[in-house]
Amino acid sequence: MELIIENLSKTYNNGVRALNNVSLTIPQGMFGLLGPNGAGKSTLMRTLATLQDADSGSARMGDVDVLRDKNAVRRLLGYLPQEFGVYPRISSEMMLDHLAQLKGLTNKGERKDTVAALLQKVNLWDARKRNLGTYSGGMKQRFGIAQALIGNPKLLIVDEPTAGLDPAERNRFYNLLSEVGESTIVILSTHIVEDVKTLCKNMAIICSGEVMHVSTPQEAVHWLDGKVWTKAIDKHDIHSYRTLYHVIATQLSGGKLFIRVVSDILPEQGFEPIEPTLEDVYFNAISSKVDLVTL
Amino acid sequence: MFLDVFLFELRYRFKRSATWIYFGVFLVLTALIIADGGTNASEKVYHNAPAIIGSFMALLGVFSVLISSAVMGVPLYRDLEHDTKEYLLSTPIRPGAYFWGRFWGSFATLVFICSGAIFGYVLGTWLGPLFDWTKPERYGPNDPMAYIWSFCTVLLPSLFFTACIFYALVAWLKNNRVLYSASIMLFIFYLLANFLVRDLEKRDLVDLLDPFAINTYQNAVKYYTPAEQNTQLTPLTGNLLWNRLLWVGLGLLLILGVYSRFSITRFIAVKSSKNRKADGEAPVPGTVALPVVNPAFGKGFNWSNLWGLSRLEFRNIIRDPYFLSIILGGVVFLFLDDWIGNLQYGVPDRPVTMNMLLFKTYNYSLFVFILLMFYAGETVHRDRATGFANISDALPVPNWVQLGSKFLAITGICLLLATVPMLVGLLVQVLKGFFNFKFNFYFIDLFAITFWDYFQMAMLAFFVHALINNKFIGHFAGLAVWVLMFVLRSFLEFDYNLFFYSYKPDYLISDMNDFGHFGAPLFWFNLYWTAFGFILLLLAALLWTRGADNSLKMRWRSYKAQWRLPVTGAFLALCALWLGSGSVIYRNVSQTNRYQTSKEGKKAQVAYEKRYKKYERLAQPKVTDMMLYADILPDERTIHMRAVIKVRNKTDQKIDSLHLLSNDRQQYTLQMDGQLLTAAQYELLPRPMFTLFYSKPDTGGYRLYALPKPMMPGDTATLEIVTTLKNPGFVNSGLRREIVQNGTFTSAGIPSIGYDPQLELESDEDRKKYGLPEKPEELPPHRDPYGERTMLFNDDADLITFECIVSTVPDQIAVAPGYLQREWTENGRRYFHYKQDSKIDYFFNVVSARYAVLRDEWTSPDGKKVNIEIYHHPEHTWNLDRMVAALKDGLGYFDKNFGPYQFRQVRILEFPRYAGFAQSFPNTIPYSEDFGWYADFSDPNDYDYFYYVTVHELAHQWWGHQVVPNYTRGSNLISESLAEYTALMVAKQKYGADNVQRFLKYDLDAYLRGRGQESKKENVFINCNRPYEWYQKGSLILYALQDYVGEDQLNAQIRAFRDSFGMKENPPFAGSYDLYAFVEKAVPDSLRYFLEDSWLKIALYENRILSAKSKDLGNNRYEVTLQVKARKMYADEKGNEAESADTNDYIDIGVFAAEKVEADGKKLTQPLYLQKHRLTNGEHTIVVVVEGKPVKAGIDPYNKLIDRIPEDNRVEVEVE
Repeated sequence: MELIIENLSKTYNNGVRALNNVSLTIPQGMFGLLGPNGAGKSTLMRTLATLQDADSGSARMGDVDVLRDKNAVRRLLGYLPQEFGVYPRISSEMMLDHLAQLKGLTNKGERKDTVAALLQKVNLWDARKRNLGTYSGGMKQRFGIAQALIGNPKLLIVDEPTAGLDPAERNRFYNLLSEVGESTIVILSTHIVEDVKTLCKNMAIICSGEVMHVSTPQEAVHWLDGKVWTKAIDKHDIHSYRTLYHVIATQLSGGKLFIRVVSDILPEQGFEPIEPTLEDVYFNAISSKVDLVTL
Repeated sequence: MFLDVFLFELRYRFKRSATWIYFGVFLVLTALIIADGGTNASEKVYHNAPAIIGSFMALLGVFSVLISSAVMGVPLYRDLEHDTKEYLLSTPIRPGAYFWGRFWGSFATLVFICSGAIFGYVLGTWLGPLFDWTKPERYGPNDPMAYIWSFCTVLLPSLFFTACIFYALVAWLKNNRVLYSASIMLFIFYLLANFLVRDLEKRDLVDLLDPFAINTYQNAVKYYTPAEQNTQLTPLTGNLLWNRLLWVGLGLLLILGVYSRFSITRFIAVKSSKNRKADGEAPVPGTVALPVVNPAFGKGFNWSNLWGLSRLEFRNIIRDPYFLSIILGGVVFLFLDDWIGNLQYGVPDRPVTMNMLLFKTYNYSLFVFILLMFYAGETVHRDRATGFANISDALPVPNWVQLGSKFLAITGICLLLATVPMLVGLLVQVLKGFFNFKFNFYFIDLFAITFWDYFQMAMLAFFVHALINNKFIGHFAGLAVWVLMFVLRSFLEFDYNLFFYSYKPDYLISDMNDFGHFGAPLFWFNLYWTAFGFILLLLAALLWTRGADNSLKMRWRSYKAQWRLPVTGAFLALCALWLGSGSVIYRNVSQTNRYQTSKEGKKAQVAYEKRYKKYERLAQPKVTDMMLYADILPDERTIHMRAVIKVRNKTDQKIDSLHLLSNDRQQYTLQMDGQLLTAAQYELLPRPMFTLFYSKPDTGGYRLYALPKPMMPGDTATLEIVTTLKNPGFVNSGLRREIVQNGTFTSAGIPSIGYDPQLELESDEDRKKYGLPEKPEELPPHRDPYGERTMLFNDDADLITFECIVSTVPDQIAVAPGYLQREWTENGRRYFHYKQDSKIDYFFNVVSARYAVLRDEWTSPDGKKVNIEIYHHPEHTWNLDRMVAALKDGLGYFDKNFGPYQFRQVRILEFPRYAGFAQSFPNTIPYSEDFGWYADFSDPNDYDYFYYVTVHELAHQWWGHQVVPNYTRGSNLISESLAEYTALMVAKQKYGADNVQRFLKYDLDAYLRGRGQESKKENVFINCNRPYEWYQKGSLILYALQDYVGEDQLNAQIRAFRDSFGMKENPPFAGSYDLYAFVEKAVPDSLRYFLEDSWLKIALYENRILSAKSKDLGNNRYEVTLQVKARKMYADEKGNEAESADTNDYIDIGVFAAEKVEADGKKLTQPLYLQKHRLTNGEHTIVVVVEGKPVKAGIDPYNKLIDRIPEDNRVEVEVE
């Protein structure tokens, strides 16, 4: 099953165009959605999670019209929003059990097993009897992950899931996601390029509401093979380099400014070729929309 | 640095629009209230009189709580909320400057906001006359001092107190939800004071407990006469001073306490979670595999989710600690109300079930209102407020399940709140050992009536919150709806229930008549409002906010998208139900019955007076004999009446027309000597504004009949009137108590003769508005020839003969005045024939109910027997022995002192508590269920008002029936004051003087209060025209008079008076001056001043004891030195007082030993010395020697005189 998004557009009342003619085909497995803050990632995800209506366009998943038949989508969906709250006076176990019920796990035994397994998976088993109000930020995030995974969702949308997790928990989460991702469409939004590289089969880069780039992380890097160059320059010269070359990154180190430039040929003397990274792909993709010179 | 913070706070506040909006609200609302004349000033008191401004300021204290919490709650919390704390408070700011700068800056803002009321007040006094909302004479000159003084002494301390509370609590607890509970706590204190105000003896406690000094202020000015209210600034002394000091002190204590522990670092510290360590657990790799499950979205899925979610939501609400504390508050009040109940003269009732259900509409209903308003909002906004909506909105739960579950949870809360009064009621009943539970009352009242009130309240709150996407604005809007309705109803004098959400007609449960005739209107109104509520709910569901985008546009779009066929169907069905039930109500209220606004009612009175006043005192025939046939159909609430009346022209003029006055719309046929008469003249009433269909105009009640043959002086004729009294359908409000299923009692039905001035508009303010002259007096002056030949209660007849055949359903007993001649059953109905063999007043009633009858007998010393019959509700047997004793004691005392009883029977008949009075018809006394039948007199110190009222009504057989007052000024004192006095004498004989004094204390309070609220002028006693004079002042001065001149001497003169005027069939009848002439004879010259003071002048004392010291002389003898101050004043009719120039009055000086307590707990005062001393105005030192240890001493210690401050007449004796 694939999720096919066609020409999705959304403009907010304040005039911000959050989505501009977005078309994407998302196959099973992990799909990474990269983009800077305000790119429209969350709008896209909320729209797919039925929390928001688009102005135009369509989204289909199998024979389900994602934008119209909201209730059908919700039955397939697991969703971890970027920000969420909890009922403070209820334990995580009870809350998960309740959510499982709402997600159609009507069999009591089945529900109990699922909740128990999820609690162990996200390492909340020992804290399962505690009221959610007493949870720390990281624990709350893990609770959020657990609830999103209830009931074998066919479509799993996770928005900035690793925010607030320590490295160990982050690893655990990625393992969990990979485990689920084999049989599910998982859309993962993040601005950590490294995560996409290690986890995702497919990826898209969006910026200012537009899809800038769609591919797999491996292909993407291939496209830039031999096209990324670097040079250490005096930081006062940056303006002239900017006008001359396609600068995608700058970094100050030891008083020198290292710049990375995309070019089919050697730009000028002093530039060294360098192995392209996914980050280069990302910056290259969004460079037309965002000023990347961070000085 | 303090100054910087302070000024920054002020600048910040004055830049914010909220400050100006609040100020504007205070200004505009006050201006509107004052311009509309919406104060509690009686008619001769200015709306801007100092005393009125003061009570307005006190009341404002309560309303300012809202503003105070909004203004004082934020200044510190602001830094937590906006996260400015991190950098702002890392500056080297001193805690003191921060804390106090913010406090005083905010407090100054608060004071500024509330000062809007002063400007609004002044503005109102200009706007009122300008727009002709209120007449200019209702406003006095605006004295700036009056405003400033009231603001500073009354409101400012309240503001300071609440400011301290709110500011300190936020500084201490660092959250702002505490503001809600603090507001509620304050409110509880106020309610507690209000609650205790019922008991006269706890006045000091009430005065201190009230944090806003509303009750305190009322108590301070309650005896102010109109003139004093208009001119005097209320001094800040006594309890008012102590109250203000107490609450300011408490506020100060609290804020200083919090400040002493206040530190900036602690204030901004992040709340540490105690369970932090759990987060650091070493992660154990999850080894379990996630089970593969198959979500099932079967048929019952949504329904089971609805149920599950409702339960979760219900639990969310009831686990909230604030919910628990508020409901606990409600329960405490309900318990107290149920436990203490309605005290009458300090005497409690037994915890009968109907009373247990009475108090849920008192304080408890406020808690219910707060809970439903607040938690409907909490529930609606919970997911959004906690952020859980981001998860829950993406769950496969349709909108109707989301909203439905929340609503079901609130419905569950309604059910819970409706059950609480039963649990509390049962608890109180069990604790008091009262096991006569009436579960049908509990269930019907709580679940068939009260629950729907709560349910409708919840639906509205739900709708408002679903519509308005902001919790706080939602709370405000929800409250505003109710306030608006309240304001419209009271200020626009407009109470058409069909237009006011959830309003419905009154009802009252009665042991006698159960839910009576209230079922139908309540059913229809509840259907009407519930259907309307569901329409609101449906709209709320369609506008339900889900997901991230909740702009109005998106909500409108989803609203349209969801409006599908089933929705249309439901909508139309609900509308049909709503409008259908509405039309049933409309037909009943406005077509079957003619609803009139109170303005229409006044206009009808004006039209009546303008049209018919010219016929007042027109020569008309008088009734001489009456034969009444009445068939009572209790279940149909109908009485068919036929009256055969003999009339005679007792005037010396020819009479050629008959003027009859009945209720408007009443139909009857009139025959004269067998010839049918039709009204020659009557008016067609204008269409009431809410009666839309009015093809056949109603006929007015004043009708003129041309006599076929003029009645010459001395001529007689026979009138026959046939009519039916009915109560079709139901009405907008009012109990319509007269004809009911069990407990009919009516004296209406037969039209009266001629113009009745009592139906005129009374209020001078209203009269002026409608172009009528002022009406300073109701009755003609003394010795007025027309007045002397007319009876006070009735100008239709002198004494008459009376006979009645009354029938009712077989299980009821029907009673009318007269002796029972025969009782029989015919055609399935029970008939009674009563005949009065001596002449009586033209004053009769019929009564019918399922009675149990207690029969007894009293024999006079000369062997005459009087049958005693008490017709009572079978359950109400508790106090019958007191009633019988009262009748026997009364008959004995009256027979001995005032001459024989004129009848051979006396009957008392209980009637349902829809009205709370007793009324004395000839040998027949209907007596309300509410007035002692189930009172608990187990404390021997209590005043046995059941006994007393019974004797009072019996006394009317002498005073009212034997001696009929004439139609002149003040003559009603013959009926009421003599009944009060003689009943007091019988009670004194039975229970002792101490017990009677307890009752007189209430009389003194009621008299002083009554004259304070006088709306025209206070007459001297001999011209009395107000209940506070003929009952309370009459009791006081006649009781004192017998104390001064001796009971026997006074009684002898009253007896002589009765002998001259008793059973008089022909004029002149007795006036107050006739009684005075007799009473005068009992008074020696030395006491003449007292008689004149009390009857011909308005005299008031301010006697006071300054100190009392005792010296032990040995041998159980003590010398007591009293410092006393005597002061007598005379008041004019407006209440202006002047010190009496030549006081030299006899005033009691008393010294008392410790109270003696008898075996049964009865307390008795033990006077060691009680003598009257002649005292002039001013201070006196009195030395007396007593035998026995003195404990208390006083001047006029029993309050026999009318003393404006009765509490300061006694003190404890100090030992030297």
